[in-house]
Amino acid sequence: MKKTIQVTINGRTYTEDVEPRLLLAHFLRENIGLTGTHVGCVIGECGACSILLNGRLVKSCLLFAPQADGKEILTIEGLAANGALHPIQEAFVQCYGLQCGYCTPGMILAAHYLLMKNPDPTEEDIRKGLEGNLCMCTGYMQIVEAVKEAAKKLK
Amino acid sequence: MADTKYVGKTTRSKEGPRHVTGRGHFIDDIILPGMLHAVVLRSPHAHARLVSVDSKEAEAAPGVLAVITPEEIKRKSNPFKPGRYAAGLKRPIPEYATAMDKVRYVGEPVAAVAARKRGQAEDALELISVEYDPLPAVVDTAEAIRPAAALLFEELESNLAWKGSLHYGDVPTAFKQADKIVKEKLKIHRYSSTPLEPFACIASFDAASKKLTVWVNAQVPEVIYDALREAFGLEDIRVIIPDIGGGFGQKIHLIRKYVVIISLLAMKSGRPVKWIEDRSEHMMAAGHSCAQEFDVEAAVKKDGTVLGLKFKEIDDVGGSVSTLTIHFTNKLNNLSNTYKVKNIFLEGHSVVTNKCPVVPNRGIGKPAMCFIWERMMDRIAEELDLSPIEVRLVNLIQPQEMPFTTPSGNIYDSGDYPGLLKRALEKIDYEKLKEEQRREREHGRLLGIGVVIGVEPGGRNAARDMAIFPEMKETPGSGGVNGATVKLEKNGTVTLFLGSPNCGQSHETTTAQVAADILGIDPEQISTSTPFDSDLAPWGVAAANSGNNFHLYDIGAVHGAASRLKEKMLALAAHVLNARPDELTMSGGVIQAAGSPLKKVTFAELGRIAYGNQALMPKGFEAGLQTTFYYTFPHGEPNLVPGPGGLVRAQFTFSAGAHVAVVEVDRQTGKVHVLRYLVVGDNGTVINPDVVNGQIYGSAAHGISVALGEGFVYNSDGQLLTLTLTDYGKSSTVETPKIEIEHRPSPSPFTTLGQKAAGEGAAIPSPAAIASAVEDALKHLGVRVRELPLSPEAVWKLIQESGRLKDQG
Ligand code: FES
Ligand code: FES
Repeated sequence: MKKTIQVTINGRTYTEDVEPRLLLAHFLRENIGLTGTHVGCVIGECGACSILLNGRLVKSCLLFAPQADGKEILTIEGLAANGALHPIQEAFVQCYGLQCGYCTPGMILAAHYLLMKNPDPTEEDIRKGLEGNLCMCTGYMQIVEAVKEAAKKLK
Repeated sequence: MADTKYVGKTTRSKEGPRHVTGRGHFIDDIILPGMLHAVVLRSPHAHARLVSVDSKEAEAAPGVLAVITPEEIKRKSNPFKPGRYAAGLKRPIPEYATAMDKVRYVGEPVAAVAARKRGQAEDALELISVEYDPLPAVVDTAEAIRPAAALLFEELESNLAWKGSLHYGDVPTAFKQADKIVKEKLKIHRYSSTPLEPFACIASFDAASKKLTVWVNAQVPEVIYDALREAFGLEDIRVIIPDIGGGFGQKIHLIRKYVVIISLLAMKSGRPVKWIEDRSEHMMAAGHSCAQEFDVEAAVKKDGTVLGLKFKEIDDVGGSVSTLTIHFTNKLNNLSNTYKVKNIFLEGHSVVTNKCPVVPNRGIGKPAMCFIWERMMDRIAEELDLSPIEVRLVNLIQPQEMPFTTPSGNIYDSGDYPGLLKRALEKIDYEKLKEEQRREREHGRLLGIGVVIGVEPGGRNAARDMAIFPEMKETPGSGGVNGATVKLEKNGTVTLFLGSPNCGQSHETTTAQVAADILGIDPEQISTSTPFDSDLAPWGVAAANSGNNFHLYDIGAVHGAASRLKEKMLALAAHVLNARPDELTMSGGVIQAAGSPLKKVTFAELGRIAYGNQALMPKGFEAGLQTTFYYTFPHGEPNLVPGPGGLVRAQFTFSAGAHVAVVEVDRQTGKVHVLRYLVVGDNGTVINPDVVNGQIYGSAAHGISVALGEGFVYNSDGQLLTLTLTDYGKSSTVETPKIEIEHRPSPSPFTTLGQKAAGEGAAIPSPAAIASAVEDALKHLGVRVRELPLSPEAVWKLIQESGRLKDQG
């Protein structure tokens, strides 16, 4: 029993037939082919699958695809415009805010959400804001630096 | 190297742009035509006889194209050969990709299904009926070696699967001459490094040509290559390794089981098959580091000089013999830590239990070896009433003694250990901190300062284990080999083909810097061919994202290949320009003859000649501009293979670091807050500071998180209680402290650029640093730290117990 849903992803509207039990993370990766949204746990503890849903940061493994029906999604693929990196992406490259890259898309979207709410965060704000996103490689130091740098760039 | 425009500087990350845009290329991003999805059925029991596995219903389920049971695994594949990691095994115990007659840990693979959709495979998995006959679970090493304990492997007649010892120098005399014998019992728990991307693989079998291709996120291609060859008797195997979402040792060993299972599903179904492990599967069955217990004795002089060290080690190796001795053998890599003690005795006991098998993990036994030394240094200081710094200083190897040969045969290439330690104390302002600690204690605050030092060995020598297992029939090889290819394309850009995969250590960035300096171009003009492909890569035994191999073998190979390419380009250019090679300079993609501005040729022009214009090539010139270089360590002798007395170099380069942890303990909750964490490190010539810093930050953060509570917990039935990252206790941004780094490099006299390792690094001394700091905070209450982890609960208990002791006293 499939359900038809209409979702706007990175500015483009998709109409898809999906099984009700399909996770939103898998919908994005498999049905839409946007593989930048990663899956590290499927139970909401790692943040690798973070996206923005109607402007709010959510873990896409905790939602079913039909829950996004009629809504707008931003994934990592929607952040860069016309081939130019978004300032947050640029800051992550510049500050070595990543190693293996697996947490990176979710981390950047979490940083994006944080900076939208708080353009001038302290170190503590940044660490609090990224608490839901685990990184096993970096020890977070250069990620925090990257977010500080991004805040500067966005001013 | 004379000209280093890029080596030593932070250049722009080459891997960064694809990852920040979501264009990293991981296994789960790959879709092949007709691809099926596999799921694995796992044991719910810690210990049970496998009576029967019936897959009939599952085979008939919708979408299912293949099911594999133990019976079929046995029929269609050979068991793994007991490799290097199982050295010391008394009797060969065949280990297959799935459990055979018994299951020995929760999560052990039993069967697998491949179906057109993952959901269909999951549904079918529930239709496989397995009959188990449960046996008592053996979860504690002391229980395990009691005569009445249930046996994991009947063939071994005991759960003590291996016992052996080694000695260097004259230990009995050292103990006779001692003013004092300092004794301690120490313990380190089970943990992992939980890479964010779990295991993943795709297998595709071309039955007509008998070629098996696997895409897998494995750190060591050779492990996969050998496993598949041994399992199926196939020769034509291709291992493709794209971006790996973190490794840290976790993706070296047990992953081979799944590659065999998935390959068999691919052969059986005639379709490519993908398998992605889920988080809880990873936690229960992908491998843990080993819980290790130590009985340690140090023979010391009154001034703190350590004459000798003895320790007995008990390793809880879990439910497999395939990694029986790795945590013990790796003690040889940093057996002396930074100290010049001459006499050492060590005795290992490997005990099998009904827990997840143990695997390499950021340093394997090295964090524990450093923990032994650094806990003992503090204890010696306490018993002799000396300062812990003083005791370390009298024992440190001095810079003028470098290169220094340790009792077990390691040759420390370079280093100023007293300099690292003193600088760390100065930078943290140790005296002032001690003062503050005294002052604050009066206000009830529990501050502690831990100061430790450790080495980080790099570059593996495969012959090490022969020292421990002289009976080894097949030599495991010696030294290491890895290659690299550098190609000037006909449009003038440069492509690198590396000999090993990469799981986040910026290999592309770093090697491009090295090649850019040699070829006089911008790293931006260099690209690296990805993914790693065993059909194309110039790989050897050291093609391993493990053993801290990259800095030695890959950098050596890229340096060699680029130098060779430069020579070849100069020969061609000299002919074209009618000049001598030695009057030519290479810079900015142009080769120029000295003194004649018009005599020049661009890389692109050279490329067009080399690939298309025979008339312009010198006689006898081999067309093309592509060179390959296989690197072996030129200073591998002496002690490359064990000589008399078993002296052998376990690894070839020795980075080092002094760590200072400043902590505050909450007396009410037992929670430890890390207020400051400093690393003063020697990683030799630093090729890219941001890359090396990243490795130090990451490894220190992991070691700190391990010390403060992350780890695996089993109940008495052998059920794993920590199946999620939250239960396991992984530190987030909020708990992870800020880490300060200062570099004090002593370049290695033996390596291409003076470089040493950085990777396992700070994970080696950091557990010891935290232990030392927590004890320093609580010592006046009577607390002694002997065990990790120092979770709030554990620390709270230590405080309570010491209070009780005091009350009683
Ligand atoms: S995959 Fe969604 S939070 Fe981990
Ligand atoms: S960069 Fe590897 S998990 Fe964050």
